[in-house]
Amino acid sequence: MASSAARGRRAVIEAPGRQQQRQERLSGQHERLWAFLVLGGGALLPRPSGLHREPAPAAHQSAEPSFRQGPLPGQDPEVDSRKIDQEGRIPDETLEKLKSLGLFGTQVPEEYGGLGLSNTMYARLGEVIGLDASIAVTLAAHQAIGLKGIILAGSKEQKARYLPRLASGEHVAAFCLTEPASGSDAASIRTRATLSADKRHYILNGAKVWITNGGLANVFTVFAKTEVVDSDGSVKDKITAFIVERDFGGVTNGKPEDKMGIRGSNTCEVHFENTRVPVENVLGEVGGGFKVAMNILNSGRFSMGSTVAGMLKKLIEMTAEYACTRRQFGRSLSEFGLIQEKFALMAQKAYVMESMAYLTAAMLDAPGFPDCSIEAAMVKVFSSEGAWTCVSEALQVLGGAGYVRDYPHERLLRDSRILLIFEGTNEILRMYIALTGLQHAGRILTARVNELKRGNVTTIMETVGQRLRDSLGRTVDLGLTGKLGVVHPSLADGAHKLEENVYYFGRSVETLLLRFGKTIVEEQLVLKRVANVLINLYGMAAVLSRASRSIRLGLRDHDHEVLLASIFCSEAYHQNLFTLSQLDKHSPENLDELLKKVSQQILEKRAYICTHPLDRTS
Amino acid sequence: MRQLRLREIRAFYHGHAASRPLDWNSTPGLSLSPKGVKILAASLRAAVPPQAPRGLRCSAAAHNPDSSLVPRPPEPPRRPVKALAVHEELFRPALDGTRDKANFVRAVQNFAEYNVHKRGHVDFIYLALRKMREYGVERDLSVYNLLLDVFPKEVFRPRNIFHSIFLHYPRQQECGIAVLEQMENHGVMPNNETEFLLVQIFGRKSYPMLKLVRMKLWFTRFKNINPFPVPRDLPQDPVDLASLALRHMEPDLSARVTTYQMPLPKDSPDTMDPTETHIVGIQSPEQQSALARHDPARPIFVEGPFSLWLRDKCVYYHILRADLLPPEEREVEEIPEEWNLYYPMQLDLAYGRSSWDDYKFDIDEGKNRDRSNSEHCMGRGAASMKARNSPLRGSRPISPLSLPPSNICGTSLCWLLGMTRTGPVPPLRSLVEQTCYILGVPGRRYTTQSLVGVRRISSGTLKNQEASPR
Repeated sequence: MASSAARGRRAVIEAPGRQQQRQERLSGQHERLWAFLVLGGGALLPRPSGLHREPAPAAHQSAEPSFRQGPLPGQDPEVDSRKIDQEGRIPDETLEKLKSLGLFGTQVPEEYGGLGLSNTMYARLGEVIGLDASIAVTLAAHQAIGLKGIILAGSKEQKARYLPRLASGEHVAAFCLTEPASGSDAASIRTRATLSADKRHYILNGAKVWITNGGLANVFTVFAKTEVVDSDGSVKDKITAFIVERDFGGVTNGKPEDKMGIRGSNTCEVHFENTRVPVENVLGEVGGGFKVAMNILNSGRFSMGSTVAGMLKKLIEMTAEYACTRRQFGRSLSEFGLIQEKFALMAQKAYVMESMAYLTAAMLDAPGFPDCSIEAAMVKVFSSEGAWTCVSEALQVLGGAGYVRDYPHERLLRDSRILLIFEGTNEILRMYIALTGLQHAGRILTARVNELKRGNVTTIMETVGQRLRDSLGRTVDLGLTGKLGVVHPSLADGAHKLEENVYYFGRSVETLLLRFGKTIVEEQLVLKRVANVLINLYGMAAVLSRASRSIRLGLRDHDHEVLLASIFCSEAYHQNLFTLSQLDKHSPENLDELLKKVSQQILEKRAYICTHPLDRTS
Repeated sequence: MRQLRLREIRAFYHGHAASRPLDWNSTPGLSLSPKGVKILAASLRAAVPPQAPRGLRCSAAAHNPDSSLVPRPPEPPRRPVKALAVHEELFRPALDGTRDKANFVRAVQNFAEYNVHKRGHVDFIYLALRKMREYGVERDLSVYNLLLDVFPKEVFRPRNIFHSIFLHYPRQQECGIAVLEQMENHGVMPNNETEFLLVQIFGRKSYPMLKLVRMKLWFTRFKNINPFPVPRDLPQDPVDLASLALRHMEPDLSARVTTYQMPLPKDSPDTMDPTETHIVGIQSPEQQSALARHDPARPIFVEGPFSLWLRDKCVYYHILRADLLPPEEREVEEIPEEWNLYYPMQLDLAYGRSSWDDYKFDIDEGKNRDRSNSEHCMGRGAASMKARNSPLRGSRPISPLSLPPSNICGTSLCWLLGMTRTGPVPPLRSLVEQTCYILGVPGRRYTTQSLVGVRRISSGTLKNQEASPR
């Protein structure tokens, strides 16, 4: 009796320690995630309150009033998304109002005249801005990538010189990386910057395509090849980032592209012809442009989650309105099961991407400079695909009405298609998610894999024993639930599913590394599955954490959240099981070989191969 | 059975039975007495509605004086018989000398018109079959159907089980089979009309029908059995033919066919030789880049001629190839550090693919390299070899320095010297050409694999050939 009481006391005493430990682990570095996922141990899951740290409520409150007065879509009739879409440009007065609200410098530090919002606050703002895709894209191109380079890599002088005017919106920024021959392949960049004879200028020559804000911008972040003398004395071509003002001369842009969606944003070609860029305008180091570009791209992604979630919330409202008023067969549409199902799907997706986005934002806001690029990529992939499915489902609810321009659904559908493409296509981001993770897991497992390959009897026996136990059905408990667990008991079911998935995913990753080693880079279908499982796992962790928090804080309608969280956990769990079984080498679910064969035959002939069903031989 | 009897009876009534022996050749053992016939007739008349007499319905065989009750061995088909020239006049060339489908059809119709009783139609059909090629209708299904239509209907159908068991009207059936055989040889697929005609003429249980059923079964299965189909009508222009051959050898659709040298005009005084010389080459982008990377200090080889058969035409080609670099000199393709902006192109791990996922062949590229397993092809093409002392003949290592730079270093290194020769198989003496011949059965084509095989054998042989001038 006494001993049990002592145990209980000890547990209570230990609890803060454990929580402390968890919080440390929550620093959001993907290494942690992977250590957790792959080794099946540790605890990545944020504390219930990990989702909303101190800055978060403040952000929410401070942001709220500014939306009220803002010229923001859905709140101000001035912003007519339909008109923006039809005319293909954002009216100047709207832009002026956006500038006057300081929305062009949300993440610029306050000392440079920006709002200095944290990532969480920025995400919250994104929800409102996301109601008009063209405005969202224009703002994102300006501050998430256009001027981000200056914030991340700029020197004091550069910041002082450019940021104030950019933050006020007096100048608009654009990010110039893509070229006709170079999408994600940095090696094929053709734009070239050569040092002038007096060594005070770089002469920039080249063409960049698909530059958002290319026609509006005055300040460009341009990436070009420069000759760099290596440490060993050899001359190499390396990428360097430059801040280029339009006034430097020689900067021209083509006419705006006629796009499918986000038609209000300005996208065009930008040409640089003998543009003289002062040496002071090199961003970061000479030859260090690759890193700059990567950092900018990686940092800009997480906000898509909240932006899309904001749009989806509005969409659910509009669609529900239609479904409840439209009557067929004497019943309103909302009474039909097939319609109801669509709303559940939309709510679930919105809930998950919101949770993921704010969890990531919170991790980014954590002290230090946590690298959350994997998480941000996962948010981007999940939210862009969620947006596409949800808008399509909503349009389906409207039927024919959704197909005409009277309702905004067709515009939203067109707008949301770009989400799957820009900021790194989802295919490429999946590679990033899987490979970055596998790199880390591979390093941890190196010793073990080497021993297995060498035929160390003890390790082999251990592994075999482990597999045997697994196959006999083991209950995985990583300590998410229970007395000191972070997950609320009403979500225990989902938590167990997450734990089981995590454990078996770890096993699968180990097997994959054992099978493919570093050549796994070539196994794109395998990598895609690894990424899919990871995205689901992250989503499960995020919703469990958020729903637990809601219950514990007693937020309104938390039972609804529990429902959504359980649904998602269940769905994701089964998806993961299926995907993991596909990762087995000889599983009947794995059709990779067949798929490859089919596509090879088609691509060799470059045509659809089958004969017409009406063809005969006689 | 009843039909047959009725026919016999009717023939009897019309008096044919009295004047000449009936053709009983397929119904041996059926004894016929006038009395029995009469009884049969009496019992049948009520049952069968009377039909208008259709004239003489005995077969051609019935006219033969040597016809007997014993079935004769079938005459071998398509053997020219002097007597068959009877209908030759129907196929007289038209006034303007043209021989086309219309003339052929007219000839067949004339036969039917002038010969109401279709006397000698078997001979006529054999004759027509032989004439079809002259009229260019040997691939025309409608003409075959027209020919089959010449047969009288209903006459040769077996009327009882014994007819079916024993060859009924063998000469006619043979003739019908001959028509189908010729269709088969020219790849003409019978259609429903053919089947209907055959049913009308010979009935379902007859040998022509059996042949037809088999054709319908196998033709459909074999029609597309060749994964690399050669067009039925090959281009007449040798350059076109050469490009076709090259396209067949190089599956890459990005590969470009280049004509390096056109054949000389026919009336040119230089052409001592009736065969025209031309050079056509094909090169894929990969081959171009392989050539661009090639170290000029290493030799490249022009090998050939190899032959390739396209239906009945033979094309000769040469390949340009180089040896694989020895393993120690091969450059490992380095993945640049700053390449992909979005994801790592390589993993920094110490271990590679394990053996149970390694599907590559274990090739021993040891020091004892012989050419056969260490060569890679840089281009290939069809070659015209009539110029006997062409410098490109044989497997002679050509140092890039010994060829004009334009030939080697430009984008258009000419690989393939092309000359096509049609007609009979050229004298095959060397092992190379024998191998090619075996592989190149007319109408087939080489696969890339088979070419590799040929080349292996050839490179040794051709060296020997060099020593002994042909």
